[in-house]
Amino acid sequence: MNKTVNQKAWFFVIPVFVLVAFNAIIPLMTVVNYAFQETFGNNVFMWEGTRWFKQIMLSERFHASLGRQFLFTFIILFIQIPLGIAIALTMPKEGIGVPVCLVLMSMPLLIPWNVVGAMWNIFALPDIGFLGHSLNALGFDYNFTQQIGDAWFTTILMDVWHWTSLVVLLSYAGLRSIQPAYYQAAEIDGASRWAIFTKIELPKMKKVLTIAILLRFMDSFMIYTEPFVLTGGGPGNATAFLSIDLVKMALGQFDLGPAAAMSLIYFFIVLLVCWVFYTLMMRNEEKS
Amino acid sequence: MMMFNVLNAATWGDMAKEKEKSFFDFEFITWMAWTWQTAAFFIFIALCLTAMVIWEKKSPGGNPRKGILGLDTTRGDRLFISLLGSAFIHLFWLALVGSVLWIATIICIGYAVVVFRYV
Repeated sequence: MNKTVNQKAWFFVIPVFVLVAFNAIIPLMTVVNYAFQETFGNNVFMWEGTRWFKQIMLSERFHASLGRQFLFTFIILFIQIPLGIAIALTMPKEGIGVPVCLVLMSMPLLIPWNVVGAMWNIFALPDIGFLGHSLNALGFDYNFTQQIGDAWFTTILMDVWHWTSLVVLLSYAGLRSIQPAYYQAAEIDGASRWAIFTKIELPKMKKVLTIAILLRFMDSFMIYTEPFVLTGGGPGNATAFLSIDLVKMALGQFDLGPAAAMSLIYFFIVLLVCWVFYTLMMRNEEKS
Repeated sequence: MMMFNVLNAATWGDMAKEKEKSFFDFEFITWMAWTWQTAAFFIFIALCLTAMVIWEKKSPGGNPRKGILGLDTTRGDRLFISLLGSAFIHLFWLALVGSVLWIATIICIGYAVVVFRYV
């Protein structure tokens, strides 16, 4: 069968191309340009070569915020993924409970980031907030605005509250797609609950879990608004994750050159992780 | 207003005069701060992509194969791995050695050749 060659469809791509050019390609090019120059404003730029890249690569401040970022991301993944699976396993499989659970679960996902930050800020205030006041009344010395451990605890708790639902919903969808025949076979074989989980449910959830981990990794790796509203990166720099530190450098100090270099390095790390995850996902696809 | 002009002249305004008008100083994109070096970089990327399109026309299908890493890669994947890897090689060269960056560039070319042949 001979297809007619018609390349006119390419014209339909033009609007998308223009849009992407304006919101991604041109800004990215500008960031690359800034990363090699110094400016004091007024559109005057001085060539600096690779100085900013070297400075950022050797900067203790960057190492610290990168370390905090990875620590935060791994902690929340470590909590949210098992917790999400556990909740999905205990959710009802039929009846009125299903829509009730689904709606309740998706509520936190619908709340805008800055509102989540503001909510948790007030909720956790040590003098008037419900959480903060209760903890102090119970005898804990809790103050997230001054103590590093408390700030981390609150930030992680907030992120778990906000995003575990996403893992739950994805896992639940994965669980619901398992054919009943698998469970019947397991029952006939007298498999234990643990065996059913590790031999049937987990392998069947592999794809959605990879997506869940990828989404949660990327979102938490680029987290900005919630900790910015909750702690503002403090106390000191204790919760200044990469993007918060980046904005401080770019807009607070107006160090556009180093900030551009830092955002490019940040971008490369994100690209690398995305590529690794994508490759792993494709390999899973191929095997199953 | 006058006062601000005076202030400007004393500080940033003077610096504005330093720079001569160069080829890339079109008024509407001065904020993009183009330099010939970064322009050359993007032209290089554009040439890479064009070369890939021509290569694809010459031998369609992207030459998929399973390389030494056990990954299924096509030409596009190999270009991506080469470019991203080169970025990291340059960055770590800057961090660990610091000078004579062109040696890192040579390493990158070697790395890209290896990626295109074996990965």
